[in-house]
Amino acid sequence: MSQLSNIIRLSFRDYSHEWRMSGCFIFALSAVLAPMMILFGLKFGIVTSMVDSLVENPTNREIRPIGSGRYSEQWIEDFRNRKDIEFIIPKTRALAATIQLKSDTATRILSSELLATAENDPLLAGMQRFPDDYYQIILSQSAAKKLKVEQGDRIDASLARQFHGKRERVHLTVNVIDIASISVTSRNVAFVNLDLLVATEQFKDGREVPDLGWDGDSGSSASRVFPSFRLYARSINDVGGIVADLEKQGVRVKANVAEIETVQSIDQNLSVIFWIIACVGAAGFAFSLGASLWANVDRKGKDLSVLRLIGFRSSVIVLFPVLQSCYTAILGWLLAVLVYLGFEQLINRFLAPRLNLDQSLCYLLTEHFFWALGLTVVTAIVAAILGGLRASGIEPSDGLRDM
Amino acid sequence: MVTRYFQLPSIYCLNSVTVVYDLKNVVKERLVDGVGFRLQVPSIEIKAQENIALVGHSGCGKSTLLDMLALILHPDKSDHFDIDPVDGKSQQVDKLWHHHRQSRLSQIRKQHIGYVLQNGGLLPYLTVRENIELPRRLLKLADDDSINSIAKVLGIHRQLDKLPGLLSAGERQRAAFARALSHRPSILLADEPTAALDPITTRKIMAVVMELIKGLKITLITASHDWAHVYKMDLRVLKQEAEPVENGRIYQSTFHD
Repeated sequence: MSQLSNIIRLSFRDYSHEWRMSGCFIFALSAVLAPMMILFGLKFGIVTSMVDSLVENPTNREIRPIGSGRYSEQWIEDFRNRKDIEFIIPKTRALAATIQLKSDTATRILSSELLATAENDPLLAGMQRFPDDYYQIILSQSAAKKLKVEQGDRIDASLARQFHGKRERVHLTVNVIDIASISVTSRNVAFVNLDLLVATEQFKDGREVPDLGWDGDSGSSASRVFPSFRLYARSINDVGGIVADLEKQGVRVKANVAEIETVQSIDQNLSVIFWIIACVGAAGFAFSLGASLWANVDRKGKDLSVLRLIGFRSSVIVLFPVLQSCYTAILGWLLAVLVYLGFEQLINRFLAPRLNLDQSLCYLLTEHFFWALGLTVVTAIVAAILGGLRASGIEPSDGLRDM
Repeated sequence: MVTRYFQLPSIYCLNSVTVVYDLKNVVKERLVDGVGFRLQVPSIEIKAQENIALVGHSGCGKSTLLDMLALILHPDKSDHFDIDPVDGKSQQVDKLWHHHRQSRLSQIRKQHIGYVLQNGGLLPYLTVRENIELPRRLLKLADDDSINSIAKVLGIHRQLDKLPGLLSAGERQRAAFARALSHRPSILLADEPTAALDPITTRKIMAVVMELIKGLKITLITASHDWAHVYKMDLRVLKQEAEPVENGRIYQSTFHD
């Protein structure tokens, strides 16, 4: 313990005594590390931001069927159970999926599109409540504004039809349980429970809806078939596979496949380029640090021999260059972080606005800095151990005679 | 005066008949500039508190023998190589080398041997005080006034807070003696400690050192190529003889009384 604490003290004293040489080592290390951090910051900033925005925006994960089809409840259920699908919900015919909304605070009646929703709907991510019966509704920002309503207000929803030559209208009082943000849609949309959407279509088709007391013809008991659906893949990486499966079944769909593939290709290519540069840089760093430590041990052979002569054990002497190498690694990393942060600010403040990007072009997470530190220290220690073993292998007698 | 400032603990006060070093047929071979060099020590017995001078011309193996005595160079062959720095605790050095007991050798060196190199061998990044107290720190000896005392005796007490690079050659050698003696070893080895100094400074330093080792009852073994100086200091002299052997392929150097 005495030897260990003494060698830590001595290695630091020597390191600070030779501050010019130590400074050169620190600058040399940061000169290799800082560009690698900037490169990684750019790679992470540009590509990750693009990927994140793609992932975060549910429309990029949406797969939309083209035209009408015939999708049974069982077909929808099968897709719902797939692991690569986050959310799927049926849609009824567009013409049948409209409703007239009227509030006490607005004079106009608003014709609004109806969309079925349920828990975990990516389009309404962040919502606390979802409509779970006929009487609950979420309005789009645009619809809420036009109706001048807020969350918790009760409004009148009505439907009209021509039934046996007679015009009929039914009314329903619904509770606005939430209002979707403008980023969800700019259209007038009412998000409702699937049952209300189906009831609306049934009423418009002249069929009865016993639950709501709406008269009409009796419906058949056959399984329901939907003309369309709203489907979201779990990630952008799943979109391609789902599209291929649907097309195999003859379902023509539309998705942002090309855009996703472009970002994925950029990500892969930049990753390859980054890792090639990083590996070459890391190898260069390890060799240069190893070579300089090797030379340093030669230079310090005399002092290390004196330490052994005084009574330090060989195993402790190994620590001398290893510790000095750690000091270089930590201080070099610190300098590289400062250089990186300077360039990060420069790039994000001056370059990003010119490219009309509202996201950071270059950034690293806190854990990336610690990864860089860990890798630098480990590389430095491995290189230094070789020097340290050489130091401990020098016969003190030879070292002293070289004085 | 010396002993008053720098008392040696009683455990290290060896009986003057104790044999500190006992070497028989010790051989060390080296290759110097492509020519074989063999150092041969047929028999040397060094008693406690003896003052020995290894005398011979440059390159005859004085430093090699000192390094073996300092336990930093292992002999190639030996019938007998014992060290007894503490009365009655003889250690077989050749066996320790043979069994790679490096830590035991370090321990003996750390505790019982002081070594003065030709140019001091002070660590340039430590002050004179820190250099002197380093052996004491390794042994966890109490931080008493002994550093100031020995520095005063050797006349370097005003230089204690300076770095070695700022000292004169004479001051550096005094500091080197102070470091070698600071942990109160029982053996002091010195490799031509005054070779780089002028005769007046040499005389002054060696006078103080001789007084110190006498007071501290230390065994001194010094290497020198200066016959006149050695004879003035009244040391037991181990002379060196050298001759080419094995058809001149090997230059053999032998030390004897």
